[in-house]
Amino acid sequence: MVFSMKNYGIQSMLKEGHNHLSGLEEAVLKNIDACKQLSTITRTSLGPDGMNKMVINHLDKLFVTNDAATIVNELEVQHPAAKILVLAGKAQQEEIGDGANLTISFAGELLQNAEELIRTGLHPSEIISGYTKAITKTIEVLEELVEKGSENMDVRDKEQVVTRMKAAVASKQYGMEDILSSLIADACIQVSPKNPANFDVDNVRVIKLVGGGLHNCMVIRGMVLKGDAVGSIKHVEKAKVAVFAGGVDSSATETKGTVLIHSAEQLENYAKTEEAKVEELIKAVADSGAKIIVSGGAVGEMALHFCERYKLMVLKISSKFELRRFCRTTGTAALLKLSQPKPDDLGFIDSVSVEEIGGSRVTVVRSEEGGNKVATVVLRGSTDSILDDLERAVDDGVNTYKAMCRDSRMVPGAAATEIELARRLKEFSFKETGLDQYAIAKFAESFELVPRTLAENAGLNPMDIISKLYEKHASGNTKVGVDLRGGDSEDGVCKDVSTMNIWDLHVTKFFALKYAADAACTVLRVDQIIMAKPAGGPARRDKPAGMDED
Amino acid sequence: MASMLQPQIILLKEGTDTSQGKAQLVSNINACTAVADVVRTTLGPRGMDKLIHDDKGSVTISNDGATIMKLLDIVHPAAKILVDIAKSQDSEVGDGTTTVVLLAGEFLKEAKPFVEDGVHPQNLIRSYRTACNLAIEKIKEIAVSIEGKSLEEKKSLLAKCAATTLSSKLIGGEKEFFASMVVDAVIAIGNEDRLNMIGIKKVPGGNMRDSFLVNGVAFKKTFSYAGFEQQPKKFLNPKILLLNIELELKSEKENAEIRLSDPSQYQSIVDAEWNIIYDKLDKCVKSGAKIVLSRLAIGDLATQYFADRDIFCAGRVAEEDLNRVAAAAGGTIQTSVNNIIDEVMGTCEIFEEKQVGNERFNIFSGCPSGRTATIVLRGGADQFIEEAERSLHDAIMIVRRALKNSTVVPGGGAIDMEISRYLRQHARTIAGKSQLFINSYAKALEVIPRQLCDNAGFDATDVLNKLRQKHALPSGEGAPYGVDINTGGIADSFANFVWEPSVVKINAINAATEAACLILSVDETVKNPKSESAQGEAAASAMGGRGRGGGFPGRGRGMRRR
Repeated sequence: MVFSMKNYGIQSMLKEGHNHLSGLEEAVLKNIDACKQLSTITRTSLGPDGMNKMVINHLDKLFVTNDAATIVNELEVQHPAAKILVLAGKAQQEEIGDGANLTISFAGELLQNAEELIRTGLHPSEIISGYTKAITKTIEVLEELVEKGSENMDVRDKEQVVTRMKAAVASKQYGMEDILSSLIADACIQVSPKNPANFDVDNVRVIKLVGGGLHNCMVIRGMVLKGDAVGSIKHVEKAKVAVFAGGVDSSATETKGTVLIHSAEQLENYAKTEEAKVEELIKAVADSGAKIIVSGGAVGEMALHFCERYKLMVLKISSKFELRRFCRTTGTAALLKLSQPKPDDLGFIDSVSVEEIGGSRVTVVRSEEGGNKVATVVLRGSTDSILDDLERAVDDGVNTYKAMCRDSRMVPGAAATEIELARRLKEFSFKETGLDQYAIAKFAESFELVPRTLAENAGLNPMDIISKLYEKHASGNTKVGVDLRGGDSEDGVCKDVSTMNIWDLHVTKFFALKYAADAACTVLRVDQIIMAKPAGGPARRDKPAGMDED
Repeated sequence: MASMLQPQIILLKEGTDTSQGKAQLVSNINACTAVADVVRTTLGPRGMDKLIHDDKGSVTISNDGATIMKLLDIVHPAAKILVDIAKSQDSEVGDGTTTVVLLAGEFLKEAKPFVEDGVHPQNLIRSYRTACNLAIEKIKEIAVSIEGKSLEEKKSLLAKCAATTLSSKLIGGEKEFFASMVVDAVIAIGNEDRLNMIGIKKVPGGNMRDSFLVNGVAFKKTFSYAGFEQQPKKFLNPKILLLNIELELKSEKENAEIRLSDPSQYQSIVDAEWNIIYDKLDKCVKSGAKIVLSRLAIGDLATQYFADRDIFCAGRVAEEDLNRVAAAAGGTIQTSVNNIIDEVMGTCEIFEEKQVGNERFNIFSGCPSGRTATIVLRGGADQFIEEAERSLHDAIMIVRRALKNSTVVPGGGAIDMEISRYLRQHARTIAGKSQLFINSYAKALEVIPRQLCDNAGFDATDVLNKLRQKHALPSGEGAPYGVDINTGGIADSFANFVWEPSVVKINAINAATEAACLILSVDETVKNPKSESAQGEAAASAMGGRGRGGGFPGRGRGMRRR
């Protein structure tokens, strides 16, 4: 295929196998098309009534989710322009941890509208300048829309936290947001440090156990480790704990060595001395006051024997991260080698017990007073896919908490903000002179995507709803949004969000819109694509059947 | 990349397979219904068993939903969810695995015409969730508590629950016999509630009635060396020493080497080795133990040494058995024979070695802590005992859950009919589409009594209508009526002691609804090509895939076979 190409123009300058596309038709519109395709995939997942996607990734793992960040991550997008959108989504996920879908869908919508403008004859650069003006204006308007009095909040007040978190959780697990968001809020408040800005999302852990249902979910102060305790002691309360990162066993040399025995006595005493050595070490630990030994590696049989003898509970945590978290929870300093710990190195645990939750045994480590360092949300659900999805909802919730610790301002949710933005921007566009006007108007129009998609996904009539929303907003009520639950009764579709209590964080919206606009402008700015031939590696041409379908 | 002159947009990696839209949803539903159809006929006391011949050539006969689902080795991503819920039901409550798959399949089947007619799945999902919550509340309302009864009374109540579970299994004929055995075993382990404290040992031969319960630990005689015959085989109140070391002549350490410059020392080294083992044996004897058990080998030297001193020994005891003895007899397992104190030794009232079938069994009974029980199962063929073990496992789980939650509901499809009636009634009060959806949810629940009848060869429509009539009685006295499997009519399940713990039903309805909603909420499947690292696996699974294809008519069109 490549070889049949005639070499002319820029093609002749480049190495064989380069792919070169330029011009409006070939580059810009194609790029837009690709981005549109991507956003069509994620769009149906927007909002609480969004549909799930089943994604089977290259490792054959099944994802069932409506979290856009996960979807695009597992999709392995190849198209360079579409990748820019994916990156914008990822940036949003990393910055805020929520709203990735808004970013991608909105960018897709902006590009789609840009395409119309290009077809009517506008130059991309004019669109870009219009879009840039529009986003600056949008941000100004967004500031104005911030709910009064929401800038001050107590991040330890559960009610306030839940209000702000609910919309984010609801978009992932609709119908369960009340239970989930209160669980997440509990967990977050527990681990919230003195200065809330230092909140670390890593301190809220999630453990997934198959079986039961959402009503069995709970929050545990402390950690939950999968697996049983090693020895026969399964329950200890109010005890000191020693952590050995390198394993609990008689020390052995790394270098291969042979013990040379010269006489009968030496042979007889060989085993004895080794035994005595282990006993001495374990005794030293027991003498230091520790009741629990946590090992980061293997637990030797001989060592275990003496631990049992000295009534020490033995836990094994093989993950290094988990071990570090354990140390943080209990305030323990991990020792590398089995030796007598100094009093400072010992941590304290309120209770450790092995419990059975839904058929699997877990070790529950509770530290109620000692430190509010780590909290664990125990998720229950009937399948792995549901659990994974719940986990993502929890992640989003926790990230929202982090975001609200930094900036607690909120704006009306349920598309109320978007409609208001659209209305104001449209007004703004009329005042602009020049061709920018068209671009700004289109930008404003793009906001309709949100109410439209929300309504579409919920099985409602979108055009009807958007016109109603405009009407309500024009009459001065800027907080009217789509009520998805009111689908059955005729007039209840548009409601004041403050009565429904749906709020989005200002900062989430802010970044989502900004990233989307940036990504759209970046894509528009491209007029040439030059793709180098992929270097080396295994040939990709062994699956011709796959290409025909694309 | 088909042509350079007109480049196609390649958004995703080559070989990526996507499918979306209504067709995708319908094909997912079809796949799930197909899976549900496989287990459908195993439901209830008259359910049939499945024989599964897997790729390794082993044969399993079972009517346990979870076992069948596991062995089916399903690859369809949507149908996999059904396998997951069966597993989850198995781990959460242990029984009702067929029910949960059947319900999920039926919910989806009922949803299919709506989806085809263009109803938005989210509307269905919302109604299903509402219906699920209503159903669970209703179960909680009807459930009868067994809390606060005396132990005797409780025992007979629990036995009824166990009998209901067992009646649907292969050993249903002897359900009373096994039910009381299971209840005794569960009560024996008490509040400790560690499932692995109940051992099930299988001995082919004899008949089911020869099975017995040991209030303690029993395990098959281990491999023994010469001298074993001389050891006494029965003790009263012996001390038991549990070891985790080899009592054998062996090299002390792998990385030790002996170099001698003086050949005359050779004998002393040999003596030293003997000394070490004699020293160990001596310490065991001195501890006063009458029974020595070890996880590792006890050699012939040690066997004879113990035989001379009237001590019983057994080497290579399976770890779980040894743990069970430790828990029952109150000892701890020792990795060293030095410094053995009385505290670490266990004891029991009677130890004896008994003949069971053509095997000899070591039986420890009357243990002080009493927190273990062992069921010795007898029966004909291997597969039969295997299935019996699975059935007992289900029954044990049921009794445990019933003990923990202590509420029961009438079985035999009665509870399902009652919820169905309640939901239908509720649906009438709703304006709008969800009336239809809740009605179909209610209809889906009727699949349980219907299938019970079908499997028993009764006229399902006839029985179902009788049941509906009973349940519709305004006084509510008809609520506990379910299918009577013996007469082909209907009967009061509660009075006939067909009972199930309510947690089984709650979990089943919850899990089935969750799964159905999950499948309904998927509108797109994207399958990425496998990466290099997964390629090897892919080749292996592709081989299996061809084999499975035949028995799996409902594979979704959405998924491309590779």
